[in-house]
Amino acid sequence: MMTAPDDNPPFRKVLIANRGEIACRVIRTLREMGIASVAIHHPVEARARHVREADQAVEISGETPVAAHLDIAQIVDAARAIGADAIHPGYGFLSENARFARAVADAGLSFIGPDADTIALMGDKISARQFAADHGVPVAPSVMPTQDLAEFTRQATEIGFPLLIKAAAGGGGKGMSIVRSAEELEGAARHAASEAQRYFGDGRVYAELFVERPRHIEVQVFGDGKGGAIHLFERECSVQRRFQKIIEEAPAANLPADLRDEICASAVRLAAAANYRNAGTVEYILGADGRFFFLEMNTRLQVEHPVTEMITGLDLVRLQIEIAAGRDLPFAQDEIKASGHAIECRICAEDPERDFLPETGTILHLDAPQAAYLRFENALDRGQRVTADFDAMLAKLVAHGPDRAGATRRAIAALHDLALLGVKTNIDYLARVLGHPAFAAGELHTGFVAQHKAALAAGEPDDATRDKVLIAAALGLRDFRDLVLGVPEPHASIGHWRN
Amino acid sequence: MSRLQSSINTASADFRRNEAHNRRLVAEFKAKQEAARHARPQRDLDRLARQQKMPQRKRIEMLLDPGTPFLELSSLAANMAYGGESPSASSIVGIGMVSGREVMIRADDPTVKGGAWYPLTVKKIVRALDIAMENRLPVVHLCDSAGGFLQLQSELFPDRYMGGRIFRNQSMLSKMGVKQLALVFGHCTAGGAYIPGLSDYSVIVRGTGAVFLGGPPLVKAATGEDVTVEELGGAEMHTSVSGTCDYPADSEEHAIEIGRDIVSQWDRLPRWEAQREAPEEPFYDPSEIYGIVPDDIKKAFDMREIIARIVDGSRFHEYKPNYGTTLVCGFANIWGFKVGILANNGVLFNDSSIKGAHFIELCNQNNTPLVFLQNITGYMVGREYERRGITKDGAKMIMAQSCSRVPKFTVMCNGSFGAGNYGMCGRAFDGRFLFSWPNHQIGVMGGDQAANTLAEVKANQMKRNGGSVDQSAIERLWEDTRKAYQEQLSAYYSTSELWDDGIIDPRDTRNALGVAISASLNAPLGPPGYGVFRF
Amino acid sequence: MVLKLDLDGTVHHVTILARRPHLVLSIDGRRHVVENLDEAGDGSRRLTVDGEPVAFARAGSADGAIIRLGGRSFALRRRDAAAEASAAGGGANVVRAPMPGTVVVVHKRVGDKVQRGETVVTIESMKLQMKLDAPRDGEIAEIAAREGEGFDKDAVLARLAALAEG
Repeated sequence: MMTAPDDNPPFRKVLIANRGEIACRVIRTLREMGIASVAIHHPVEARARHVREADQAVEISGETPVAAHLDIAQIVDAARAIGADAIHPGYGFLSENARFARAVADAGLSFIGPDADTIALMGDKISARQFAADHGVPVAPSVMPTQDLAEFTRQATEIGFPLLIKAAAGGGGKGMSIVRSAEELEGAARHAASEAQRYFGDGRVYAELFVERPRHIEVQVFGDGKGGAIHLFERECSVQRRFQKIIEEAPAANLPADLRDEICASAVRLAAAANYRNAGTVEYILGADGRFFFLEMNTRLQVEHPVTEMITGLDLVRLQIEIAAGRDLPFAQDEIKASGHAIECRICAEDPERDFLPETGTILHLDAPQAAYLRFENALDRGQRVTADFDAMLAKLVAHGPDRAGATRRAIAALHDLALLGVKTNIDYLARVLGHPAFAAGELHTGFVAQHKAALAAGEPDDATRDKVLIAAALGLRDFRDLVLGVPEPHASIGHWRN
Repeated sequence: MSRLQSSINTASADFRRNEAHNRRLVAEFKAKQEAARHARPQRDLDRLARQQKMPQRKRIEMLLDPGTPFLELSSLAANMAYGGESPSASSIVGIGMVSGREVMIRADDPTVKGGAWYPLTVKKIVRALDIAMENRLPVVHLCDSAGGFLQLQSELFPDRYMGGRIFRNQSMLSKMGVKQLALVFGHCTAGGAYIPGLSDYSVIVRGTGAVFLGGPPLVKAATGEDVTVEELGGAEMHTSVSGTCDYPADSEEHAIEIGRDIVSQWDRLPRWEAQREAPEEPFYDPSEIYGIVPDDIKKAFDMREIIARIVDGSRFHEYKPNYGTTLVCGFANIWGFKVGILANNGVLFNDSSIKGAHFIELCNQNNTPLVFLQNITGYMVGREYERRGITKDGAKMIMAQSCSRVPKFTVMCNGSFGAGNYGMCGRAFDGRFLFSWPNHQIGVMGGDQAANTLAEVKANQMKRNGGSVDQSAIERLWEDTRKAYQEQLSAYYSTSELWDDGIIDPRDTRNALGVAISASLNAPLGPPGYGVFRF
Repeated sequence: MVLKLDLDGTVHHVTILARRPHLVLSIDGRRHVVENLDEAGDGSRRLTVDGEPVAFARAGSADGAIIRLGGRSFALRRRDAAAEASAAGGGANVVRAPMPGTVVVVHKRVGDKVQRGETVVTIESMKLQMKLDAPRDGEIAEIAAREGEGFDKDAVLARLAALAEG
């Protein structure tokens, strides 16, 4: 993926409206392309890696660090003031904020992402779903959002069960519930409506057919903004906790070739129909019966893009930048080949033993394994404080192998060799997931973590291991070490003796 | 240095008989020691538990560096005094390693009459501080005492080497730059208050530690003031108001931790570097000593066999082997330290006396510590020897030994009678440490000899006063003398009176000397030079 | 002297039995011969324990160490007497934050009588809400939490009146 800096880079200077590992990732490609990079940061992260690695940095302010990163006006002003000609929004924060994309464009800068209208279209779950249905993308049968509970109940009963009831204006799992029979329906609908009203101020609920043991399959697409689109194959992100992905892989495990082609084709169709520009990901729910339904489209680069990069050998950030500069898609669909298998593990500061509660601490020691088939995407420094200010994801460990088993083996070995000490993480938990026979067999679904909870729990270490740990710890303590080494002769040789 | 060749036959009847005898003596010694260390009235143990206090020995073990030796001194002090009321003289004294530094540990024993000081307690404490001064050993005091045992105050208060000497010694130690730490676990009353008062550092345990020149009853009697222990001299007051103590501790464990941390701050004074090589276990089994020392004090044995079971690799460089053969002299290593050994193989004659004096001079010239292994009944007496000048020769040996600048260590392996004790560095000669074996006997002369002598004198007296010799009176005198001597000759009596620094199992001699020699290196060598040798 | 290390809530006793001819440590009375002592300090290290090579990573923390060994991470804390002494002051008299966050609702006031298990404070962290309950029956002596304010892990948010000495 390494290429020489462009003779004629598409931009002179790009501001990254993000932080952490994705900012470092974007800076890396910018550097390769010979483009100047600008980082933004809140005062608490003034010494963060992304700030140090960028060519320039701008401090932004806000009541909280997150608020600063969501301050559209401040960020656009900063980009203009420093002479950037483009902004890369990364993922999260403002990357799917249509108002931001519009503000960037209005300021005369290039937004490295889709047009604001497309972002708005796909950002509204209802309108996106409608658009997908209108363009031949399968959607789960659903009940339209309404506050009329009688109408809701009628439509829901027509679809059948099980049903997933959601708040129309909601997210994050709030106001969601699964109803398995008609008897439960009315009560559940009433409850969901009141939760929706309470949390989002909008009492509309809708319902979709609930797919049992769904797999989360997504397709990476690129559009040229003129109706042309290609796909870079699919990814599987079924292993999740708290509705967040923790393990992603490309390609999906055990997907029949025709089904895969069908899903990818449907994603391309959607992107083309939307005149989609730049990178995007179309997410689907895949049932055990092979039926797949549109979930949503993310109009940005995804966290798990490295697995696609590793099987295709392409730099997706570079593609984003070039398309944002107005260039055409550099290759045709049949020129894109996938080779081997890649797995990504999201390393988060949390305690799997306590329901993945977020953890804080200080990074006392960091030692990551290195190999040509590994990527450790992070913005970590030894001594860095891990706080509740930002997201709990610390880093991504990505492993490539000739096949799924090989990639899994390499990922497990890399997780074992990864030493990140000072804050509790899910590193060892992820290794146990990858080592579970159900994972090896590809028996994946979004309930994987809950289903195998007992088997994935860390067992008690045996006495021998525990003693080794105690010895290793004791010898690291200065005064104990002095006690071992600092007793002079002949006392050290006489040893424990009493008369 | 070549290895000594042993000619002991471990299968012989003599060996077996000696071994049974000595093992019995050692077992008896261990039993007495065990009782002195641990046998206490249940109510005293209960009281300790109620006060949530740890036994002193447990505190000492927590204080010491793990995996290191602890040389306890005078464990059977006062075992034949006060009707046995004061086991170990109510005091634990020993040399051990704390935070990588050799220290003298001195602890009261609150399970014996509240830790009150008997006269022999005071003597033991003074001796401990004398050792600390002579060897420049820092001292850790574990204080927990009710003060002087008032019923015997005349024997522990007024004289030069009684109670006051403790505090004088503490002051001298401090002047010498030798540090002292006091850990106050219980009461430090009256004179006892000066122990933390004169220590460079002091730690006091909240709730149980207290320091006051007069306790609440005395204060009430003296001035009518009503005050609690805590208010008068507790941890809070002394660490925050008066400044008498430096560190408050929330528990005994905490106090010990603080103590260890304090010691770890101490500079190590420069040690005098004695010659030292890699140590080596003796080639012969030290347990064989039991079969070598005879069951009868009048029987002789070859000290080389003992030396072979104490020194590194059983290697010994004998000096002047053909001359003065009743005194074995030579160089050896003990735990790597080169030492000069003098050991008795019979009475001292002219030649052995002057060989001894010469060898002592060689050791002083060579900066080699001296180890005396005593088994001496005395100097040779008789006309021929007096004409040859045995008195002068004995005097020369005493002169050389007394004026030695190198540290001296004495082990009473068997008998120590008469003037032989002197030349071979008995107690009066400021050896750094003096240990006894359980079979040891000490006196101006042996019991039989004394009984015979006194019976003879009495008989002559009766004859001179006219009349006949009352045989039964003579026999009674003989018996009484023997019995009295028997008691006062024994190692237990000697150790009870603190004429030694403790009885040890002969097998422990090597380790005891190793720790002792190492401790002695903390003090510089004395000034060179001798007085006048009467040639 | 014995080193006390807390591993997952159990206190283990580590001490030295011998140093020559090799180092012998005791862990709760179990003997282990330790050779080829690792370098001091943090990082990836090697040791030999009972003849077996052991590879691990170590980082010293404020009150102990973190060890990564055999694909697992362990956090160890020293339990020396000084630490015990100050901890004994707190104990079951406080409501402590299990992680950093903000106070959402303070349910009780100073002087309120509470039962064990009654919610005293509701907190939020990382978009999760948690209820913190009274550790025992008692009376609220102090409320250190204020709605909307942030706090760190282990912060004392409320204190119960000390029980009268029995």
